[in-house]
Amino acid sequence: MTIWWLVVILGALGGVGIAFIWLAVRLGRVNNKAVSKQPDSIEDAADEDVEHVFNKEFREELRNRGRLHFEKIIGENAMFLQQDLRLTTSQLNEYMKTEITRKLKEEFDKYEQSIMDAKQLAIDSIQKTNTAIDEERRVLGQQVQQEIAAEKQVRLERFEANMADIINHYVLAAIGNQIDLNDQLEYILADLEANKQAIIEDIQHGA
Amino acid sequence: MAREAAKRIQGLPVLVTSPLDVARLVRELEAIDEALLQLGLRQPGAEVKMPKTSRLMDQVILLNELNLLYPEDRLLLQQFLRAVKERAPVVHMSFNADPPVAFMEKLVAWLRREINPLVLVTVGLQPNMGAGCMLRTTNRQFDFSLRQTFLKNRELLISKLMSEEQAA
Repeated sequence: MTIWWLVVILGALGGVGIAFIWLAVRLGRVNNKAVSKQPDSIEDAADEDVEHVFNKEFREELRNRGRLHFEKIIGENAMFLQQDLRLTTSQLNEYMKTEITRKLKEEFDKYEQSIMDAKQLAIDSIQKTNTAIDEERRVLGQQVQQEIAAEKQVRLERFEANMADIINHYVLAAIGNQIDLNDQLEYILADLEANKQAIIEDIQHGA
Repeated sequence: MAREAAKRIQGLPVLVTSPLDVARLVRELEAIDEALLQLGLRQPGAEVKMPKTSRLMDQVILLNELNLLYPEDRLLLQQFLRAVKERAPVVHMSFNADPPVAFMEKLVAWLRREINPLVLVTVGLQPNMGAGCMLRTTNRQFDFSLRQTFLKNRELLISKLMSEEQAA
C-alpha cells in the first residue's frame, strides 16, 4: 500500500513540474505573437494604447515579476518536492527496513525451524541408533554368554574325557609291562570262567 | 584193529595249541608214513634213513598211546589230525606280550577242559592293552584287558577327580 502512495505522490510531483514547463513555454509564445502583430484599426489603436500602457518596460517588469513569482513557485514546489522526497525516502527506508527486517525475521524463523527440525531428526535418529545398538549389544551379549557356556561345557567334558583317558593311558603304560603274564593267569582264567557259557555257546553255534 | 585204535584216541596234548601246530603234525605224519612205506619197500642191505619225530608228535603219540609203526595207527592219527584241522574250534587270544609256553599250556588246558577238548588257540599281540587279554571267537569278542576295565570304571575315576577338584 505504501508503494502505491509513493507512486501517486511522485506522479503528482511530475505532473506539477510538467504544468510549469508548459506554462513557461506558453507565455513565451504569447509574447512573440504580440511583438509580431501590426496595428490595423481601432483595434490597432487600442492595441497601440495597450502597447503604450503595457510598454516594453512594463512588460519587462511584469515578465520579471512573473519570472520571480515563477521562480518562487518553482522554489517552493522544489522545497515541497524535496520535503516529500525526504519524507518518501524516509518512509521508503523505514518500509524497506521493516520489510527487510520482517523478511529476515521470517527467514531466520524458517531457518531456525529447519535447524530445529533437523536437530530433532538427528536426535531421533541418534536415539533410534542408540536403541538399536543397545538391543544389538544385549542380543550379542546373550549369544556370547551362551557360546561361552557351551564352549565351557564342551571343554569341561573334553577335559574330563581326556583326563580319564590320560590317566588310563598313563597307568597302562606305567604298569602294563610290569605285570607278568603268569601273574595275570589267575585273573584271565577268572574272566574266562565268568564268560564261559557265552564262549561255549558261540563256539557251538558259530559258523 | 581200527575200532580199538579209535578208542585209544584221547585228544590233543596241551603243547599243540594252534592250527599251525596241527598242520605241522599232519605234514610230519605224512613224512613218517612215506618213510615207513619206503622202509617196507627197501632192498636188503640198502641204507635207510629213519624219520625223527618232533616233540609235539611225541606228545601226541604218548597221549594217545599210538604206535606209528602200525599203518592203522598212522591212518587213525592222520584222520584225527585232519578232522581237527578242519573242524576244531579256533579262538584267537591277544596279549600285551608274547606268552610263555607254560602260560599257554595252562591256558589251553583250561580251555580244553572247560570249553572244548579240541579247541585251538591263535595268539596275537596288542601291546597297548596293558594287561589281561582279548578273546575273539567266531562271532564274538571278549575284552578282558585292563584298558577295558579302566573304561568300565571311567565314571568312578571322573567322579573321584571331580570330588578331588571340588575339595581343592
